[in-house]
Amino acid sequence: MEARHKILVLDDEADWLEVCREFLSQLPSKPEICTVPTGMRALSLLDAQPFRVLLCDLKMPRMDGLQVLSIVRRRFPGLRTVALTGFSDEDFRSRAYALGVDMFWLKSDMQQNTQMFLECIESLLGQEDGGGFRDVQSKNILDVIRMELALRNSSLLRITSGRQVAQVWIQDGQITDARAEGADGEAAFARLLRWKGGMFESLPPEPGHIQTINKSLEALLTESAQMLKKAVNPTRSQQEEETKFITRMTTLAYEGAEFVVTVPVKKEDTAKGWGIQDVDQLAAWVRQAEKAMQRLGQKLNAGPWTHIAGQNLEQHLLLLPGNDRTFVISWPPKTDTRLLFEQSKKLADTWAS
Amino acid sequence: MGILNWFTKSEPAVQKLPSGSFTVDRHGRVMTTTVGSEYPQRLLDDTAREVLTLFREARAAQMPLTGLDLHFAGLHIRAREMQSGAIIFLSPQNTPAASPPAKKDRP
Repeated sequence: MEARHKILVLDDEADWLEVCREFLSQLPSKPEICTVPTGMRALSLLDAQPFRVLLCDLKMPRMDGLQVLSIVRRRFPGLRTVALTGFSDEDFRSRAYALGVDMFWLKSDMQQNTQMFLECIESLLGQEDGGGFRDVQSKNILDVIRMELALRNSSLLRITSGRQVAQVWIQDGQITDARAEGADGEAAFARLLRWKGGMFESLPPEPGHIQTINKSLEALLTESAQMLKKAVNPTRSQQEEETKFITRMTTLAYEGAEFVVTVPVKKEDTAKGWGIQDVDQLAAWVRQAEKAMQRLGQKLNAGPWTHIAGQNLEQHLLLLPGNDRTFVISWPPKTDTRLLFEQSKKLADTWAS
Repeated sequence: MGILNWFTKSEPAVQKLPSGSFTVDRHGRVMTTTVGSEYPQRLLDDTAREVLTLFREARAAQMPLTGLDLHFAGLHIRAREMQSGAIIFLSPQNTPAASPPAKKDRP
């Protein structure tokens, strides 16, 4: 008997997890459905069990969906991913696609077009790694393009995979342009080659279409393969960096902090954030605060500054100066303020080590 | 000679750390204060200006704060933002480097 596929749903809203479970239980292949409320739990579950599809909410506290997807892409390249969000945000959509998600769905669309959503998920469940295009038995995109080039055809190939659509312009047996995942030209073609499957149709040629690709198919393939090799076989330092990233995210979740940002003393070095997306503005404020503290310390003869604590209704923020960087640690508002300094120091020490 | 010292006020050899609280308007002007009058006004003005700037810049960085605690080795500055400015508390820390709170009529 064939084993049932497994779907993992990640969302911080318990109600939504239930809605998803209900939706997905209607899938004809009756997959096993697991739900988790945090990115950390999702990663540990993915480590422990084989899943076919991950449905991931993008807006979540602490580790958000984009961070989860970026880890998943590297650690579980065979996992099919679907990004879900309640916000119609083009930036989110393009970032999710840039991370290689298979599909991007608005939660409202998902509820309105349930049938289509279920068909898409069923399609992802059915796709094996490296699966072919359904219109041409087990032929992949490369076979289709090769065929067009060999016949010196002129056509516009339109390829659809889930909700993604790509186009390849072919003129007299030469690829002249491509569009995929918001990219044009060679970049689009390289992205298209990473698609695992989909459907295509051959449309009439557009002779006057702008030519952005001047390379042969073999040259494009070589470049794409080199890029893929770098992505699939990360260097030792990349692997170490990844391990460090995951360890730190785990520590962050374990200690109960919301995010950590490190702001290097050297202005030319960039700030880094864990559990937070945009750190530039915060880093700029931290640098201003450091200068203000130095000025105040000197003027008032108060000695060196040891830390800054800031509060608002949503969080406690602690700034701790280190040897080569300042740590900014955010804690939930319910955190005991008497323990903030010690907890932050402990977390910063872990980071520094 | 000792009796002369009794009538003359000696200047402190080192600047004392301030103790007390003061309120400032949104422009950084000190409105009310309990900090000893011998403590230089310009230092209170400087403190108010830096604190208000920190609040303003935090807001500009999309991280609006309602309170700030600035900890130095010898001084703790606690500031709470108010609609019309801020209230700032100054507390010397109990370390050997810190002087006792300023008292008005100490000889």
